[in-house]
Amino acid sequence: MLGMIRNVFRYRELLAVLVWKNIAVRYKQAYLGILWAILKPLMLMLIFTLVRAFVGIDSGDIPYPVLTFAALLPWTFFQESVLDSTNSVVTNAHLIRKIYFPRELFPITALLTKLVELAISFLILGGLMAWYEVVPTAQVLWVPVLVLYTLVTALSVALAGAAINVYYRDMGQAFPIVLSLLMYASPVIYPLSLVKDKLLTQQAAGDWSDMLYLLYTLNPMTGIIDAFQSVLLRGVEPDFAVMWPGLVCVCALLPCSYWLFKSAEAHFADVI
Amino acid sequence: MASITLEHVTKEYRLGKLVTLKDSLGNALRSLRGHAPRARKTFRALEDVSFELQPGEVVGVIGHNGAGKSTLLKVISRIVTPTSGRVEVNGRIAPLIEVGAGLIGDLTGRENIYVNAAILGVSRAEIEAKLDEIIAFSELEEFIDTPVKRYSSGMQVRLGFSIATSVESEILIIDEVLAVGDLAFQRKCFDRTEELIKRQGRTVLIVSHNVRQIERLCSRAILMDHGHIVRDGNPTEVCSEFIEQNNERIARQHAASVASLTRAQTSGELEVASVELLDDAGNVLESTATNDPLNVRLTFKCHAALVKPEIIVGFHTTDFIYLIQLSNAHLDTRPDLAVGLNQVTCRLPRLPLAPGVFCVRVLVLDAKRRSVFSQDMLKVFDVRAPADIPAARIPQIGFVYADAEWQSVAMRGADTPV
Repeated sequence: MLGMIRNVFRYRELLAVLVWKNIAVRYKQAYLGILWAILKPLMLMLIFTLVRAFVGIDSGDIPYPVLTFAALLPWTFFQESVLDSTNSVVTNAHLIRKIYFPRELFPITALLTKLVELAISFLILGGLMAWYEVVPTAQVLWVPVLVLYTLVTALSVALAGAAINVYYRDMGQAFPIVLSLLMYASPVIYPLSLVKDKLLTQQAAGDWSDMLYLLYTLNPMTGIIDAFQSVLLRGVEPDFAVMWPGLVCVCALLPCSYWLFKSAEAHFADVI
Repeated sequence: MASITLEHVTKEYRLGKLVTLKDSLGNALRSLRGHAPRARKTFRALEDVSFELQPGEVVGVIGHNGAGKSTLLKVISRIVTPTSGRVEVNGRIAPLIEVGAGLIGDLTGRENIYVNAAILGVSRAEIEAKLDEIIAFSELEEFIDTPVKRYSSGMQVRLGFSIATSVESEILIIDEVLAVGDLAFQRKCFDRTEELIKRQGRTVLIVSHNVRQIERLCSRAILMDHGHIVRDGNPTEVCSEFIEQNNERIARQHAASVASLTRAQTSGELEVASVELLDDAGNVLESTATNDPLNVRLTFKCHAALVKPEIIVGFHTTDFIYLIQLSNAHLDTRPDLAVGLNQVTCRLPRLPLAPGVFCVRVLVLDAKRRSVFSQDMLKVFDVRAPADIPAARIPQIGFVYADAEWQSVAMRGADTPV
């Protein structure tokens, strides 16, 4: 793990160039350029808002579009960075076969590329908050920490995904499906308070309720999304009671994922 | 301390198709039930390879296709991990493997310089310092801000070459000595590569099929065959051995390939039953020597009688450069060919071919110069150096040998003090 951090530092110039290249290539001939990056969460927000008009989701005293957009920010970042990094090693096959530099730079590059897009999405969120007159508090200082945590979470999935994808391309096919299902198991469309209320207060699943809730919060994205909403919109601290199961999960996953990547790395050039 | 050390390096590849998840699961199930998983054949690209490179050595690696040369370079540049053995490299490695591999079509030439150089391990400050030099060398000043996808293929390789050769490092690895673009630019490439190679203190490892160049540039040569190092040492000796091996190989392959490579073009009136090489005593030869007398005996099987046909015996190299044509057209007394077998012999008093491997071709034209039969590579034979001149004294360049007389006289010219 320390080796990875050292490599990131040592190859920081290469990383910067690769990230810049990704962005330049992706949007070079597109008229809207990098604006495409924010179109996806924006569209989803509009759709969710429309759906909510029919089914009615209680968003508390925060306007629903802002609430769901604040959830879509970390979620889209997580989803797309995991998908991109999973494919990153395979799409750079020509480089893998020709030249050596630490292979983890590929998934990390993909993550950092998405980070740039996330930064732009934050501008849109700012606009939305201004429109709905949601005033941020000093709690927004938590945002960098949360972004870093999301990054690490994505990395803990992406490293394993990228390594396995080299051997079995099934990964590149399976991940989009799994992740789009996971979105419904994360408080993106609905706020966490609804789940909490159903399971913890009403004990809707009987004896299993507490168990189910723990399982629900084991998904690190649950805690992350709730924390984003808390610090940005509600002006309160992240709720650690929601976050700790996910944190434990990430802490367990990351070393395994890194180990898997490192042991698979030696044969990338042979199999790819 | 050695620049590069290899100890008993072996690289094994598994043969056969890619493993799918289905196969792996199947194998896992089989081993769970206590059966052995389906084994796959392995192939050793490198087998027990050991050597050491001292700083400043310029080493050429030669060998046939599939001898393991490229795998060796990949193992040293860490792209591929050896199955067993130890590789130790001291110093920064700059690989020059395949020019222009990393060019991105959507980016401009200038942007590509930044990306590609960064991938090759050049720091940003270094790129900035060398940018003008790279652009100037590629001769693309006018187009440097145009996307690379609009470049011609020649322009792309020129850019790629300029970037690749701008990398500074202690160890330089070159797969195939590179010469790209038109003739003028190729000259520049050669000069640049040689300048890179000869720059003081660098350790260089070159893989090339251009054996002559290896011989000229390197201080040491390594000959590889089937993943082994067969010979390691003086470049002249190693290269000569490789050339000899090559010639034998061509002769061996001849029998198999002649039918497909050189189909006879015939009108059906005549075919060649045999081509034999004989010395003056009538012994059949498989090889001969420069300046020896040579008889080429052709046996024709004629299906129709031919009146005064023109018969041509020619010699060409294994890559079909036609060297000499011997024709009987000028002879008014040339014979007719009757139905059935006919034997024609063509005698050269002194064979004017330099040592090497050559082939015989035969053409037959009828009296109106209509082509009746023609076929290349009817016979492959080896020419040795003449007995009275040592092989090493024969010039290595050229196919034709001619006797020459030399005279030298000390001159007393105008500027020489009397």
